[in-house]
Formats: sequence, C-alpha cells, structure tokens
Amino acid sequence: MTQQDPTNIEPTANLSSQAVDLSKPETPDAPPRQHPAEADKDGVSTPTQANNDLQGLKSMIEISDLSFSYDMGKTDTLRNITLDIPEKQVTAFIGPSGCGKSTLIRCLNRMNDLVETSRITGGEIRIMGQSIHDKSVSPIELRKQVGMVFQKYNPFPKSIYDNVAYGLRIQGIKKKNILDEAVEKSLRGAALWDEVKDRLKDSALGLSGGQQQRLCIARTIAVQPKIILMDEPCSALDPIATAKVEELILELRKDFTIVIVTHSMQQASRISDRTAFFYLGELIEYDTTEHIFTNPSIKQTEDYISGRFG
Amino acid sequence: MPNGDHILSSFNTALNELKDATLTMGAGAQRNLNHAIQGLIQRNKELCNQAIADDEDEDKLEIEIDRMGMHIIIKFRPVASDLRMVIASMKTAANLERISDQAVSIAKRSRKILKNPELSKISRVEGLYQVSANMLSDAMTAYSDNNAELALNIIEREKLLKKTHKSTSRHFAEELEKETELYRDYLDVVFICRWLERVGSLAINIAEDVIFEETSTDIRHGGELPETLQDPR
Repeated sequence: MTQQDPTNIEPTANLSSQAVDLSKPETPDAPPRQHPAEADKDGVSTPTQANNDLQGLKSMIEISDLSFSYDMGKTDTLRNITLDIPEKQVTAFIGPSGCGKSTLIRCLNRMNDLVETSRITGGEIRIMGQSIHDKSVSPIELRKQVGMVFQKYNPFPKSIYDNVAYGLRIQGIKKKNILDEAVEKSLRGAALWDEVKDRLKDSALGLSGGQQQRLCIARTIAVQPKIILMDEPCSALDPIATAKVEELILELRKDFTIVIVTHSMQQASRISDRTAFFYLGELIEYDTTEHIFTNPSIKQTEDYISGRFG
Repeated sequence: MPNGDHILSSFNTALNELKDATLTMGAGAQRNLNHAIQGLIQRNKELCNQAIADDEDEDKLEIEIDRMGMHIIIKFRPVASDLRMVIASMKTAANLERISDQAVSIAKRSRKILKNPELSKISRVEGLYQVSANMLSDAMTAYSDNNAELALNIIEREKLLKKTHKSTSRHFAEELEKETELYRDYLDVVFICRWLERVGSLAINIAEDVIFEETSTDIRHGGELPETLQDPR
C-alpha cells in the first residue's frame, strides 16, 4: 500500500465536492470530548461507560452523542452513542440481536440512507475529522473510503477477476496492466491469490463459501478504502474458513481500520483490539478487548459475555 | 462472582462443583494439620498416622480440581469473573496440597518425637499453630464467601505470623543449646515450627488468589492493592 500504488486513485479521495482533504490528520491538540453522560447536569446517571482514551492512537471514526431512528424520529433505535474508533485497529461491536450494533455499523457508510424513513435524530459521525452527514458528502464517495463486507458473501455473478476489478472499472480505470496488478495485489491481500491464480476467468460462484467471502474482501480492498466494515463476516463459514478470514483480518489491520459486528464472543476476543457492548440501542461499555473480557466494569457487560443474560 | 445464574445450567453446575471440591479440599487440609499438631501435643500416634494417610485424598482432589477446571475452560470458555474463579480455584488447590504436605511432614516428625520422653513446654507450638490455622481457615472462608476484605486481613497478619514463628522457634533453639540428650527432638520441633509458618504463608497465597478472583488485581510480589481495598477506614 505504497504511494506508487496504481489503485490509489487520488482525485476520488475526497468525500465532498468542496474538496475537503479527508486524509488530513486532525488537530492533535483538540480538546478531549466529554461523554454526554458526564455532561448531564440533571444528575440522571446512566450505567454507560465508554473508555474513549485511545492510549495515544489516532482516532479514525468519532461518533458523538449519536441518536438514530428508523421511523422518522418516533422511536430512537440508537440513543446517545459516543465512541472513538482508533486507526488501524480492529474494533468489535457485540450485543444481543436488536441492540443496534448493525444499525450503527450501517450508519458509518450511510447504508441506512436506503431506508426512506431513517433519520439521524441527534449527534454526528465524523470520519477523519469530517462529518459524514454533511450535505456536501456524497454517499458514493464515502463508500469508496468506507468499504463493507456482509454476513452472506455476495460476489457478483461474474468472473473472479471481474469481481475484484469491478470497483476500479467503475472509477474509470481501463488499462489492463494496472487492473492486472491491482487484482493480484488485492487477491494476495485477501490471502486468496494462490488458490485462484489459475482460474481468474472462472465464475466467482464456483468458489467455496470461505473463498467467496475472501473474494468479497478482495473486492473491498481493491478500491483502497481507509475503513472496512464487516457485519458478521464469518457467521456463514465453517471453522477453517473462519480461521482464514480471522487471520486475514489481523493481516488487514496493518493497513485498514476495521469495524466488525460479531455474535461470537470468542471471535471478538481473538481478533479485536477494542470491544463495544450495546444493549437496547445504547452503548453500555466500550474498552480494550482485554479489559472487557477479563474484568468488565459494568455488570450488564459481564452478564452478556458470560452467558447470564436473560 | 456476580449473582445471577448462567442461561446454561450445566455451566452453573460445573462451577458449583468446582467450588465445592475446593472447599472440601480446604476442609481436609485443615483437618490433617489439626491431626498432626494434636498428635504431637496429646502424644497420640494414631492422629499422626491419620494425617499421613488422609493426605492421599488431598492429592486426588488436587488432580480432580485441575481436571474439572480444564474441563470448564474447554467446554464453557469462561470469561471475566468466571474465568478468574476457575483459575483461583486451581491455584488454591495447589496451595492446599502443599499445606497438606506440610501436615504430613509435621506428623512424621511428631511420630519420631513421640518415641522419646515428653519435651518440656511442647505445647508452646500450639500458639504458632493457632495463628497459621486461623489464617488458613479464614482464607477458605474468604474463598467461599468471595470476601476480598477478609482476604486482605489475612495478608496483613503476615507480621504476626513471622513474629510468632521467631519467638516460638527461638524458645526451642534455646533448649537445644542446653546440650540436652533430647537435642534431636528439639531440632525436629524447630523444623515443625518452620513448617507451621509455611502453612501461614501458603494461606496468604490463597488470600491473594481470592483478591485476584474478586478484583482482577494481581497483588503478589508487591503488586498494588485495588482501589476498592485501599484504606477504606
């Protein structure tokens, strides 16, 4: 992922028409943001504990006091979420079904725009310092920076090569040598190259489930996003394919910021650096994964990870 | 451990069985130590023999507790306080096994001593025994009740233990210097004092495991106390 990287398309690196440089590092001495629960003067004590001290790491995604509704603001699916996600780390979102973790991850690349009645009812999300809900931000440009891998692998019914080259071709890259190089690099990055290098023209649908999921990861990294969102990427895979994807995630962590939603506590503890626990639309606890799994500060977190919830 | 049961009842059962086994082992270690010391003081060889024979149960329990702990880790993947409870139980079992071994050493030497005429003021070992045995009994109570404050109290008794050990063994060392014919026996009593002191030290290890289990803080070898236990008075 060097500067000479042919897949790193400079002119499209900006999210907005006003050409705000997203890759610009944020001001280092920005004042630490206060958690809304602490700022609450009414004395309403919530049990929420978000440890947003990133221990010197640069934050990539800043979510502040975010509330979100699927029904035009009648009920909030997410309530007052505040958390900072560090750069080039793996952050896991855990919590029971319906807790809002998938909703939150879908807010990060504005996938929820597809739901007509959805609204951000409060707060904001900033990626690399820029608010992503600004009118000037095009969701297409945003998604070039924030890629996504889904629960069910979903390659296009095309060849392996065309799947990986798809995003680049959309960006107008036609030169065969550039595409060839990018496809190989992405497939290598997704630890799939050795398995498919002799059958690049074969249909992607002929691959095994684990290979298809890694192909989707290759397709995602081909356009060189800054962030990769993963919504239960291993839930449809067998243990071997899961191990390969997990190994890949740890490898990708060197170049990308990864946010993963998982229902597997073991997976969260194996691959993530930080873990956020959600319940009923609220962030209950956010801390280093080690802290969450050895000595969580909130009883609800402990009850959930140890299987006492109910 | 947080109150509230696991959704998976077999997980609860397995954790409860592990705790029960550790408490049984603790009771056994206390009983063996008591038999060994009462054998010495009451000049009762049978009690000494019993302490030596019953050590086998402790050895078996130690192996069983390790097996149970490993089984829980493999089968249920415990996290947070559950994981700490399993680790603390396995470590406590290892300490209890060593305590029972000290009881065996004491019982064996006592049997030797009993062959000769009674030593003067042999009952002075009882004071040291009381200090150590109380520490052990409180350590098992702290483990049973998840009581970190009681555990801390045991650790704070280390000075008393050292002091009592020093004064007791000095008394018998002085007898040794009198060039008595029973010098071998007095030497053995000095060793017994040393083993009793070891029992107190091992009880402190158990108390440290309890504090780890309750607060996730490792205070061994000068580690700092968790905030919740720092000078509440």
